Amino acid sequence: MNKRWSILTLILIIAIVAAACAAPVAPSAPSAPAQEAPQAAAPTEKITIEFWHAMGGNLGETVQMLVDRFNASQDAVFVNATYQGSYDDTYNALLASFESGGTPNIVQNFDLSSQTMFDTGRLVPAWQLMEADGFDPSVFIPAVREYYSDENGMVAMAFNSSTPLLYYNAEMFEAAGVEPPQGSLKFSEFKALCDKLLAAQVAPYCFTFGQVGWEFEQYLANSGGLYFNNNNGRTARPTEVLFNQDKGVEVFTHLTDLVKEGYAPNLNNTWTETDSTFLTRQAAIEFDSTSDVSLIQKAEFKVGTAFIPHADSSERNGVVLGGAALWLIDSGDPAINNAAWQFMKFMADLPQQKDWHMATGYFPVRVELLEDPELLQFWTDNPNFRTAIDQLVTTRTVLDDGTPNYAVLGGRAGPFPAIRRIIVETYSRVLNDGLSPQDALNEAAVKANAELENYNAFFE
Amino acid sequence: MSQSTLNQPLSLHRTATGQAKWRRKIWPTVEAYLYLAPTLFGLLIFVFIPIFTSFHLSLHRIAPFGNVMRFVGFDNYRTLLTSPDYWDSVRITLLFVLGTVPTGIALAVVLAILLSYPLGKMAWFYRALIFVPVIISSAVAGVLFRWLYHPVVGYLNYWMVQLGLFENMQQAPNWLGSKEWALVAVIIATTWRQLGFNVIIALAGVQNIDESYYDAAKVDGAGVLQRIRHITLPLLSPTLFFLLIINIIYSFQAFGEIHILTQGGPGRATMTLVYSIFDTAFVGTPQRGIASAQAYLLAILVVIMSFINYAAANRRVHYQ
Repeated sequence: MNKRWSILTLILIIAIVAAACAAPVAPSAPSAPAQEAPQAAAPTEKITIEFWHAMGGNLGETVQMLVDRFNASQDAVFVNATYQGSYDDTYNALLASFESGGTPNIVQNFDLSSQTMFDTGRLVPAWQLMEADGFDPSVFIPAVREYYSDENGMVAMAFNSSTPLLYYNAEMFEAAGVEPPQGSLKFSEFKALCDKLLAAQVAPYCFTFGQVGWEFEQYLANSGGLYFNNNNGRTARPTEVLFNQDKGVEVFTHLTDLVKEGYAPNLNNTWTETDSTFLTRQAAIEFDSTSDVSLIQKAEFKVGTAFIPHADSSERNGVVLGGAALWLIDSGDPAINNAAWQFMKFMADLPQQKDWHMATGYFPVRVELLEDPELLQFWTDNPNFRTAIDQLVTTRTVLDDGTPNYAVLGGRAGPFPAIRRIIVETYSRVLNDGLSPQDALNEAAVKANAELENYNAFFE
Repeated sequence: MSQSTLNQPLSLHRTATGQAKWRRKIWPTVEAYLYLAPTLFGLLIFVFIPIFTSFHLSLHRIAPFGNVMRFVGFDNYRTLLTSPDYWDSVRITLLFVLGTVPTGIALAVVLAILLSYPLGKMAWFYRALIFVPVIISSAVAGVLFRWLYHPVVGYLNYWMVQLGLFENMQQAPNWLGSKEWALVAVIIATTWRQLGFNVIIALAGVQNIDESYYDAAKVDGAGVLQRIRHITLPLLSPTLFFLLIINIIYSFQAFGEIHILTQGGPGRATMTLVYSIFDTAFVGTPQRGIASAQAYLLAILVVIMSFINYAAANRRVHYQ
């Protein structure tokens, strides 16, 4: 009798465990009915679009606000937005979903991932939907349009675009009697400015920046240097990096010298410590993204903004577009793809881009908004929001001879994120191990070229 | 079935003994396995299948854009073993373990001996004080230490300057920015968080030692240090051995503090083997094949460490 009970208990336990184990498989289920729904041809049936984004905190709340607005604006489509963590996290979750199911319809992913996103082969390029819909991509600011384009047109939908800026403590400039930077300074001019600020003893440091790959990329582009061969990877898959040539060395020398010569603290690969250094008045100037408006809001002093500097040996070229875009993952069902497209179009539309810009500092991607009366007023009241846009629209996207300026169009390579990581490590080779910038970059180039070779091997 | 049962002639008698045998011998085993089934099922899904899958993955280059794989044999292993970065990671991991484990245990024993003295009503307070870091998550601890270590506005350097150890903040150590200090900084943070656990275990061990040993030693005229050296430490050795194993495992797995404090930097100065697996598999351009190979090499290293541990234990540990 006893034994029978124990067997029954056992069966029960196994059943419970089996049920519990079966649960994780469930996520693939919701997507399946969603795909079949339109085939049931019920016009009243709502299509659910899964939207994964990487915007946390205040940014995430704003995204949700826009999604709610879309859901309330019509009855046919419901967008379910989910925060997936950082861009890296979101991308890894996407890769996992390709294998396990539960793939979203729209993913927000960042600038550097463009080539990899495309190589997944799971995308519907935006230009296809634009053509079908009669949507004219020239509504976007050229730099935005070009960044996310291949030879056919835009591959992703522009959404949150940013560029880097110099933020400065206006009170310190006033106290030191130094004129704030106008336009883009040369490296030597930047240092001269720093010398004046430090001589006036307004702060222990002149400049603060994290050893992130983005700053090197931007300074290089602004100096007209290419990151990859094959026209920055824009005309063919790149096979080697070019950042260890003259312009790259000039930029890297400048950045590491700023630390070595005491103009800037050595803050490792961080973004947050640079903010705290700037906000606590320990440095007069900071390098950061336009999307970091919180910086302006949090500061207890007046903050000004300026263009990023460029190498002495070249003219100013401009900045590469940063931020992220919306990518449409092919669901295999035209009705669902179209529903997702409607949402993407909505997010890039005028009212949404305007609110998004004013709430976050990511700039409006539509040309029309540059003349918008409400925004013109907003920029008069908040001139710092305007600097980034000026910096971008004055970027030289075309060279004097009429060819595209590939330096500012930005590099495109599959393993770009890994190569950015290598650059981050390279700072330490100079600052800690005493290598010359040229030697350190050569070493980085060897590693980066191996990454390119490994990646390209998948296409042989 | 054994040979002898097979040779037995078929008979009613046989089935009867067969049944009896089933009830006596085989059923308990089957029953035990049935009880274990849920656990084994879980282990199968979450441990054994991943172990084999990751070996399979380690023999491939996996495209960072999805499910495209190229078989490369042991090439990933060869790449790692010939890469100076990998051997640097091995060196850093061993330094990290050497930095955290002995200091952590030594501090724990000292604190445990102090705490074992009658402290009156405040005893619970001191014990709680020391244990609190354990229940803080490693992420929170990491953020706390990031503020302490901040080279420009950090408290640690601020107080060192105030105490006159350094002339100004610029001369104080750059905890997370310089290669020499970053590993030390991470070791301090990790040791601090693990200390409470070690003290509790060591304290239990100290309190377990019979008073009579001490009384006898006192009669023989042994001083405090002699009593600690000849009674406390030898009798504590099973506890110390347990702590050693647990701490080595913990150190090898350390992740949270490194992730929050340095992400393996500056350069690769704090890129331990475990962090490097994460970095390769999930940061930037994911390379799961190489990351799987790293995981396998780490497993081999841990097995070697365990053998050394047990070999040493046989000679050094005294059970009461």
